[in-house]
Amino acid sequence: MTDDEHETTADPTGDEPAVSDGGTASDGGSIVDDDFPADGVPDTPHGDDHGLPPTHSIRRWFVTTNHKDIGLLYTVTALFFLIFGGLLALLMRLELWAPGADFLAAGSYNQAVSAHGLIMVFWFLSPLAFGFANYVVPLQIGAKDLAFPRLNALSYWLYLFSGILMGISFFQGSTFNGGWTMYAPLNMPVYTPDIGGTTTVLALILFVASATVGSVNFLTTMHRMRAEGMTLRRMPIFTWSILLTVWMMLFAFAALLAALMLLSSDRLIGTAYFAESSPGGAMLWAHLFWFFGHPEVYIVFFPALGAMAEIFQTFTGRRLVGRKWFIGAMLLVAIQSFVVWMHHMFLTSINLEIKTLFMATTIGISLPFDLMVFSLIYTMLKGKIRFKTPFLFGFGALVLFILGGITGVFLGAVVLDYTLRGTYWVVAHFHYVMVGGVTGLVGGLYYWFPKMTGRMYDETLGKVHFGMYFVGFNLLYFPMFLAWETPRRVFEYAPALTGWHQLSTVGAFLLGSSFLVMFYNLFKSAFVGEQVEGQPWDFASTAEWTVPSPPPLENFPGVPTYASGRLEFEDGGSAQTDGGAVHGKAAALPGSEVTETEHGGGESHASIWPFVLGAGAFLVLLGLSGLQRGYFPEGTMGGVHIGTAIVGGVLAFGSLVAMTREKFHGPEGPFGESWPFTTVENTKLGLWIFLASDVILFGAFIGAYVFSRVAHGWTDWHHLIPEAHVVLPGLINTYLLLTSSFAVVIAMEFAKRENRLGVVGSLVATVGLGVGFLINKGIEWQHLFHIHTEAFPAGWDPGTNIASTTFYVTTGLHALHVIVGLVIAGYMIFRAWGGAYMGDDEPIEYFGLYWHFVDIVWLFLFPLFYIV
Amino acid sequence: MSRTKLYTAIYVVLFVLATAQAVVEQAGYLEESYWLAFWAIMVLSAVKAVVVAGWYQHLRWEPRSLTTLMLLGLLGAVALTVAASYSIL
Amino acid sequence: MHGGLLLQVAGQLEPDGNRAELFGTIFEVFLVLGTAVGVVVIGYMLYNAYRYRDDGTAPAEETEDIGRPTLGELPEGGGHGRKLLLSFTLSAIIVISLILWTYWALLYVEAGAAQPAEPEMEDGTTVDVTGYQFGWQFEYPNGNTTDGTMYVPEGERVRIVVTSSDVMHNFGIPAFKTKTDAIPGQTTSTWFGPVEDGEYTIKCYELCGAGHSYMTGTVEVIDAEEYERMFVEPMNSTNASDGGTERVDPATAAGGSSAPSVGLPADGGVATRLPARTAATEGVLRA
Ligand code: HEM
Ligand SMILES: [Cu+2]
Ligand SMILES: [Cu+2]
Repeated sequence: MTDDEHETTADPTGDEPAVSDGGTASDGGSIVDDDFPADGVPDTPHGDDHGLPPTHSIRRWFVTTNHKDIGLLYTVTALFFLIFGGLLALLMRLELWAPGADFLAAGSYNQAVSAHGLIMVFWFLSPLAFGFANYVVPLQIGAKDLAFPRLNALSYWLYLFSGILMGISFFQGSTFNGGWTMYAPLNMPVYTPDIGGTTTVLALILFVASATVGSVNFLTTMHRMRAEGMTLRRMPIFTWSILLTVWMMLFAFAALLAALMLLSSDRLIGTAYFAESSPGGAMLWAHLFWFFGHPEVYIVFFPALGAMAEIFQTFTGRRLVGRKWFIGAMLLVAIQSFVVWMHHMFLTSINLEIKTLFMATTIGISLPFDLMVFSLIYTMLKGKIRFKTPFLFGFGALVLFILGGITGVFLGAVVLDYTLRGTYWVVAHFHYVMVGGVTGLVGGLYYWFPKMTGRMYDETLGKVHFGMYFVGFNLLYFPMFLAWETPRRVFEYAPALTGWHQLSTVGAFLLGSSFLVMFYNLFKSAFVGEQVEGQPWDFASTAEWTVPSPPPLENFPGVPTYASGRLEFEDGGSAQTDGGAVHGKAAALPGSEVTETEHGGGESHASIWPFVLGAGAFLVLLGLSGLQRGYFPEGTMGGVHIGTAIVGGVLAFGSLVAMTREKFHGPEGPFGESWPFTTVENTKLGLWIFLASDVILFGAFIGAYVFSRVAHGWTDWHHLIPEAHVVLPGLINTYLLLTSSFAVVIAMEFAKRENRLGVVGSLVATVGLGVGFLINKGIEWQHLFHIHTEAFPAGWDPGTNIASTTFYVTTGLHALHVIVGLVIAGYMIFRAWGGAYMGDDEPIEYFGLYWHFVDIVWLFLFPLFYIV
Repeated sequence: MSRTKLYTAIYVVLFVLATAQAVVEQAGYLEESYWLAFWAIMVLSAVKAVVVAGWYQHLRWEPRSLTTLMLLGLLGAVALTVAASYSIL
Repeated sequence: MHGGLLLQVAGQLEPDGNRAELFGTIFEVFLVLGTAVGVVVIGYMLYNAYRYRDDGTAPAEETEDIGRPTLGELPEGGGHGRKLLLSFTLSAIIVISLILWTYWALLYVEAGAAQPAEPEMEDGTTVDVTGYQFGWQFEYPNGNTTDGTMYVPEGERVRIVVTSSDVMHNFGIPAFKTKTDAIPGQTTSTWFGPVEDGEYTIKCYELCGAGHSYMTGTVEVIDAEEYERMFVEPMNSTNASDGGTERVDPATAAGGSSAPSVGLPADGGVATRLPARTAATEGVLRA
């Protein structure tokens, strides 16, 4: 994460030429489809000098880093998980045909409920949206690819492998069966002992890693790499929805990562965060989970909203009414989504004051949605509405969302929620909103299908799909409102409600079979559908429709610019017309993409290492899943687990090294619009964004400590800690880290002055001090593990009590960060010895950003865990 | 050269502040008036953090947007911690 | 508690203090308004979708000069901003006033759940409930305990204080529209009643393991005096029982000679029990 891809370092001046300084852009290429060859397939002749095999070669899909390929991979994989999650849902609906466990055993039913929820939310809905985001967003903002193409491929592979890991968990006794909300302490190994349960948690961690890498990548791209004139305010609405989605993802997924890491520590090492013996354990999980969980409902919904808005504009032939307000409303929701989480906890032991507060924020967050709904409705006025399949789905999604929103207001009224909670009312509500969102995305799938494949789907079959889908949907979910008195996640219900549940089951099969129609239609059309050119829809206005379908590898025929208020392509060659300022810029920077586009582009599009890294990470986690209370199982099983983890570790580490050594060129600047990070180069921005998510990760770990301590009684805490736990080791480590930070700063100064030995010397000092930090910690831990006092006759180890748990795990996470830093620093010593970094202190600076961050974290851990 | 001097001066300040935290504890202020000493220690940590971020990480010389970004993360973490802890008081 | 004045007003608005009726009233109002809003909004959508359907007129022939989006333009907003803000304000007013209107009811419910400042102020009884995999245990004011069946006095309010001895559960009595989480290490409290004579079902509303679907219990409403004798007056040989396993309905127990079967914890403390699982869940766990 830290210094790979630093080859993409761009922006040599560190200060981009101001855009459109006076001169209006040329008339270069007005956009009409026939500027392009109609058969613009990605593997154009000059495509293969990037080392990227043609689309019909299997190899291409393992090495590709191009955003459009990755978009397709995401979309197809997500649809596969739709089938997976959908089959589980059908099993459940069959079970619910009549009260009682007559089809699935109770344990299997719980597995189905839990896996269905997890798969649909994590492995289907978000990734489907990410498929579109990958494909469309760079086109809409005028970028040639994402900022870090290999990291984009890595996101995909981590996603796929996390899904495979999830699938494997079914065969390890039982997948996690405590519900998708994974409430504590049912999520503890005492209650869900199967290894598969642990594997599910680890699979989620891998998924979160994928999402975090993806968010960093998208945020960097969208903030830094927009075409000239494409200011944030003028971004297309789908792109806006994605921008806000990834911002929410960055922070929300970090909180989930914290929750999952604490849970894995409980499950693997035997710590006590969520044990019923920890007074706040169950509440701690609920807080962490819902702090992530509520933003997550918007994370899955926003892209659908964005797609719906695009579809409405295109098929009504109107511009979005109140666009500014719409964007403002989304922005407001994105921010507020982090302060409503406790409305999922109204029945827990939280106090009335906080309930009141969260009731208020919950009403607050529902209002912007009203505005968005009205905005979409008014967009139809004076329209020229064509009821093509995408519009039908978009329109249907809006209807469903309105119903979901109205029933959500019921839940926002706390008194009603007291009764509706835990019943099918909630189940019906969130399916109306979430599957309402899916409906919008299915609209998006039909909408962008011709762009992605170059062929049109069959309209009649599309309409058949919509008919079956919409009827099936309402048949499935509306009866749930009527049968709301059924508790959630049970198969035993009042016999009087059987009729409604049977209707529901019929609807489920109708809904399911409607997707067969879709798969048939899309699969067939992808090969034999009618060929389309760039723009198959009237009134579509965004940039993806200005290029051929599917677009060429380099996306655009020149440098896209909106300087004149409309999209134009600067062709960068000598054929200038009016010598506008932009041309001057292009000419002044030889080697920039402007000239290279002519020759097929200078970017790389292929690397196998993301795939290998993904596979390695997968094997590591698969191996670790066997760990319980700090031990691998006895016998061969244990050996297999350890072996798998080691092989995975070697693969992962090897591919990381290979990735840093590989010559790979991501898109380079200059870029048109980069507000508000104009002077922050891509890699640096990516690093900072990653660190921001790390702030949440550590914040949540520290928050878990504070919360557990408050639950226990803040000032009684020291009863849980042995006398031998003193300030001194912490103070020494503070000195060590501060000094090592200082050493990095000095290394940077030496690099500026091109003093090779100075650089090597100060980096060695950094590593030495870091190693000293770890050794000191190791001695301290050894001592605490083996103390024998009256209060702690068996030592003070991670599982002793909640105080030892928080101490070892929080400082342990920090130690892991130190180790990662040391590995990077070690690698840099090796390079510095060879003469790197002379006069080029950027890599050292970036490493320093990370290292100082780790230092800062310690500055808070020291007082919290050693002094107060 | 002046840069190096500045960095060294900062290093000394950080060292002293860390020592001060330990001194507060050793002098028994935590027993005397716990919360006062508690906040004193935490403020010292915050000051150190600001110094490291501002100078060693150069946030002072970067666009404000980067500082805002980090503060957003911090705000989220603090909101979570404070609201969650308050909810069970 | 805050909002004392509001609470008094609420108390007057409140018909007879029954939570189920309270829920019913509010739910009905929401249902009527929700349906009305839904019908109007969706009706309006459908109407406009039909009215502005593409009837084949070419854009050039359009009577008014309507700017249509064109390929490659920078995104802009369309008109109708006033209309948008107006309908938004309207909907906001509806939602906010609806929720505010229910807030008095929330305060009322919460006040009933709160620990009375002084014991004498309590008008009813308090039962401690502990959930476990997969059943419920009840402890009454005099320390008597029962398992699976909760006895409550007729015509009185019942305050319940709920916790769990293992995983999270949720204690709910659908007939009384009452529900609260059972969380290990925490207690939550709520109330219900006054209730009429009869037998009601208790259900668990939080997934708690393989036996969750079967985790039910019964509420038996018994004569208030009988309740007083069995569960409030200090325990002695006539009202304490040694944890027999058979369940006897106190109402049907002939001449009161046989007490309801209740379990008295051997050490007199709070029962921390590992209950025998019922046959039904036993099978389930193996499945
Ligand atoms: C429009 C206004 C909305 C309001 C007022 C609202 C309100 C609520 C409330 C209060 C709950 C908690 C219910 C309970 O557990 O007792 C809830 C649950 C839920 N909502 Fe919404 N919601 C809204 C929109 C959404 C959206 C847009 C989504 C997703 C795209 C969503 C997804 C969910 C989910 C998944 C749950 C259930 C979580 C669980 O317990 O498994 N809601 N909603
Ligand atoms: Cu929520
Ligand atoms: Cu349960």
